[in-house]
This record gives sequence, C-alpha cells and structure tokens, in this order.
Amino acid sequence: MPQDSAVRLYAGETYYGRPALKASPFGWKTAGYIFLAGLSGSAQILGTVADFGGGRERCNLVRNARGLAMAGAVVGPALLIGDLHTPSRWYNMLRIFRRTSPMSIGSYILTGFGAFSALTLGADWLELTGAARAAQVPAAVAGAGMSVYTAALLSSTSTPLWAASPRLLSVRFGASAMASAAAALSLGERLGGRPESAETLDRVALAASAVDLVASVAAEREYRAEGVAGPVEEGPWAPVEKIGAIAVGAALPLVCHALNARRERPSAALSVLGSLAILAGGMALRSAMLHAGNRSATRPRDYFRFAQPRPALDHQPTSERIAR
Amino acid sequence: MGVPARALDYAEPILPGLIPDEAELTAGVRIEPGKSYGFFTDTTLCIGCKACEVACKEWNALPADEVGLTGDSYDNTGRLSANTWRHVAFVEKIATDGKRAAEMAPFQSNWLMMSDVCKHCHNAPCLEACPTGALFRTEFDTVVVQQDICNGCGYCVPACPFGVVDLNEVDGKAHKCTLCYDRLKGGLEPACAKSCPTDSIQFGEVPVLVEKARARVEDLHGKGATDAYLYGAPGEPGATGDLGHLNAFFLLTDRPEVYGLPTAPTRASNRVAPALGAGLATMAGLTLAAIALFAADRRR
Repeated sequence: MPQDSAVRLYAGETYYGRPALKASPFGWKTAGYIFLAGLSGSAQILGTVADFGGGRERCNLVRNARGLAMAGAVVGPALLIGDLHTPSRWYNMLRIFRRTSPMSIGSYILTGFGAFSALTLGADWLELTGAARAAQVPAAVAGAGMSVYTAALLSSTSTPLWAASPRLLSVRFGASAMASAAAALSLGERLGGRPESAETLDRVALAASAVDLVASVAAEREYRAEGVAGPVEEGPWAPVEKIGAIAVGAALPLVCHALNARRERPSAALSVLGSLAILAGGMALRSAMLHAGNRSATRPRDYFRFAQPRPALDHQPTSERIAR
Repeated sequence: MGVPARALDYAEPILPGLIPDEAELTAGVRIEPGKSYGFFTDTTLCIGCKACEVACKEWNALPADEVGLTGDSYDNTGRLSANTWRHVAFVEKIATDGKRAAEMAPFQSNWLMMSDVCKHCHNAPCLEACPTGALFRTEFDTVVVQQDICNGCGYCVPACPFGVVDLNEVDGKAHKCTLCYDRLKGGLEPACAKSCPTDSIQFGEVPVLVEKARARVEDLHGKGATDAYLYGAPGEPGATGDLGHLNAFFLLTDRPEVYGLPTAPTRASNRVAPALGAGLATMAGLTLAAIALFAADRRR
C-alpha cells in the first residue's frame, strides 16, 4: 500500500519537463578519440595478424599498421587531455586504478597501448624484427581494449541511450573499429600498388561490416523496446545515425566488398568506395552515439521509462547492506 | 523532541566560543568518524522557505546560478548544479486537463514541496566512475569531491543517476553537496538541516533516521495520508539497481517522477563487465576471422 503511487505504471509525469539527469560534457574531441582509438587499436591487431600470417610480401602492410597505431597513440591522448576541464592535471588519471570505472581502465589501456606501440615502431625502424614482434603482441591485446572500452565507458553511465544496450553498443564499436582499420590499411595498400593484400583486408572489412550491421539493427530495436530511441529517431543526430553510421558506414561497404568478393577481378573503385564509406561511417557512428546520448540525458521521459522497476533485477534484498 | 541535555549549559545569549559537539544540541547526535550520516527529508513538513538553499550557499560560499523567474511555480532555482547543492522543488497540482484543480486535497492542500540534495548513495556511481580518486567516501560515509585532485574529466556527471554532480566551467572541477564535510569534522550539523525551521530536513545517523522515517510513514498512514512512502531507504523505490540505500533519503507523497526522481535508478558500474565482455568477444571473433582470411589468401 505505501508504495502504490511509486509502483503503478509510469504515465509520463515529469517535473516541469526538466531534465532529471545531466548530460556528459563530452564533445567532438571525445567522439574523435573514440573513432581514433578504435582505428589505431584494431590496426595494431591487423598488423600483428599480417606479420605472423602474411609472409614477406606483407611487410609494408605491417609497417603501415604499426605507424597507424602509433599515430592513434599520439593524437588520442592529446584529444582526451584537450577535453579535460583542468588539463594541467591530466596525470591524475594514473593516480589510482578503479575497476568500476571504464575511464580508469581505459587510461591504463591507452598507456599500455602507447608504450608497446612505440616500442614496436621503434624496433621496426631499427630493423629489430624479433623485438618488434615481441612488443606488437601486447600492443595488439591493448588494441582490442582500445577498440571497445570506449563503449563500456559510455554505457556505464546513467545516460539512457548509452545505458539501454551496453552489449550491442560494444559490438558496434568493436566491429566498426576493425572495419575502419581494415579500410584504412586497404587504402594504403591500394596507394602502394599492392591490390592482393588490399583484397584480403577488404574481406576482413566485409566480415566486420556484417557484424556491425546486424548489431546496429539489433541495437535500434533494443532502444525502441526501452523507450529511449527518441534522439536517434528524431532531431539532428537521427540522420547521422541512420544514414551516416548504418547506411553509409555498414550497409554500403557490405555491398561494395561483397560484390568485389564474388568477382573474378575485383574492382579497385568499389574497394576504395567501400573503404572510404567505412571510415566516414565510423566517425558518424561515434559522433551520433555521443551527441544523441547527450540529448537523451536531457529528455526526462526517456530516463524515467528506462528507470522503471524490472522485477527480475530490482527485488534483491538491500536491507542488510545498511548495517556497516 | 524535548530540550537536549546540554542546551542549558549555553543559556547566555553571547557564546564563549565554539560549542564542542554542537550537533548534540541542534540535532541530538554526536558526530563520530566511522558512523554513517545522512539526511531524512520529510517533504510533508516542507513549507518551501528555501532556508536550506540559502544556508548552503552561505556556508559553502557558493555564488548564485542565475537571477530570474522560471514561471514554474515558486521554483526559481531550477536544478541542482555545481553552485546549488540544495534545491527546493515546488509542485502545484493541477487537474489533468491543464485547468486549475477545483477541489483542494485535505492534506498538504495541492502543494508538494521537496528539498532535493545529493543522495550520498551507498554504492555511489559518481565515485565508482571517478578515474582520479578525487571522489571519495569520507569517514562519515558521505561522498565528497576533493577539489585539489579533480581534473575536470566530467565522467561523474553522466554517471550520477540523479543528475546531481556538475562541472563548474569557471574553475573546471566537479562540484556537489559535501554533506558539510567541514562542519561534520567540527562536530556541527550540516547547514541546511540546522537552518530548516520545520525539521523537514533531519540530519543524523542513517540507521536511526531510517527507523524514524518508517515510524513517520506509519504515523501518516494512520492519519489517512496513505500516499506517504519512503524513497531511497533500504528496499524502497530509489534504492534499486544495486545502489544499496541512499544516505540522503526522502518521504514522498506522489510518485518519484513528479519530483523529478527516477523510480528505479541503476548502478552504472554493473554495465562495465557486460559491455567489455561483449566487446572483447567481438574483437576475438573478428581477429580469428582475420587470421583465417589472411591464411586463406596466402594459400591461393
């Protein structure tokens, strides 16, 4: 009886329509970092795969991948520090480790990725092949973290759009990261006149784009089911998500690379178009999710719908926790 | 409540100096490290005087956010922010068709007033999100931002399930209610609770406050105000999603959303493992696919 009023179905009440949450202060620098972290992290993975499984003819690809990874490890932190509101204290990010905070986890992933990527590239320049390989494996492991920790960072908040689908957001970011790295390296191989390895990379991009597309469609369904889909269905970020991230970023490259995979002599134009679409779509995905999420935090009904009791989860006894 | 035992020791109008353990006189509680302190805000006693807002601003030297009228009843404060750590919400109940209510409710008329504040969650998402350790749990079981450590990353802002923590664009740090950490250290009751003329805001040890609050709900139910319920006390709405209880909890008489509060907030850090797990599994799968594709193309 006492909780009647709280348990009855939510009918859209708000406090003067005012936001019940505060939006993150993250802007384009963070969106750019998320894209770059995925691109460079996955590039290090593909570089490692090509190094171990590719043979001599892949050495340019491996070096490009190492360079791309290092570029991300240099520019990424600059973007992040630029988005701090007290940038002179950036080093406090490494003051403690907190496993409940993806931003803390990510700070160490980025540090490790940067250190091992620098060792890898340095050894490569000095032509210490064995040392470069030894450093690249941990760099690639950190690269996997770089590709997806940013999704965990967004979903481990109270922002409804980010919190509604933590697993699928992570799958999308990861698949888009792998596709972006394959696309960037494929463009490099085309420029360098090595179409065979570009075709291999395009097949990797094809697989990643397929995963991206399936996860994107599933995520949109989950947003609608949770009642938080507003900012990706209307307003300025809806076309960026629907057209930019899904149509251009996942569906178009899927078609380009699938057509190429079936052809006897793959078309360079289709390959380049697919690669450019992936890169543009990858940036669109990160921008759309970041900004639509910030909008979703300021929509009280979205949050109140998301924050309704779920019988399976919420009826855990909490009374004993008060005794400290 | 009766007169606190030590009150007669200070009968003179001019005090000799700081009164040791002053909270014993004003709130009937001696503040000791290691115990859990919080607020019980009983909205049925709130008269909307905003003394709490003023006392908070004065003690903590917080500037005004904006001076103007919102048009939303008497709430011209608007929201909790980096500079506003108590916020009195005013809900004038009107009929559903947007017209004035023709009938006056027998209890609280058609007014709801509620002094909102940081909840000092047991499992505080802001603290769990903070990568620098600037947000920490004090010896009084409250959650405070250490201004000399915060680097203004802003991750605590979207982490908070109640929209409390905020960045100050001027100093570039995160700010929120400290539950008057400095006053607690000096044995003083927090400024808002001390200034509250109706005892709508009660300060004390959390288990004691919860007991008092449950008795108050019983009492109100007995008087016919059956809408009354606790928000944020153990096992009640607001204390959901693994947050544990809220050290600052409330007695409400309408559903939480009417006051701008979520019925079932969640603990953000519970999503770290599913998100990282799904993402790393995706990366592992795609890496295996890449290995297979590179191997297949090499054979050709």
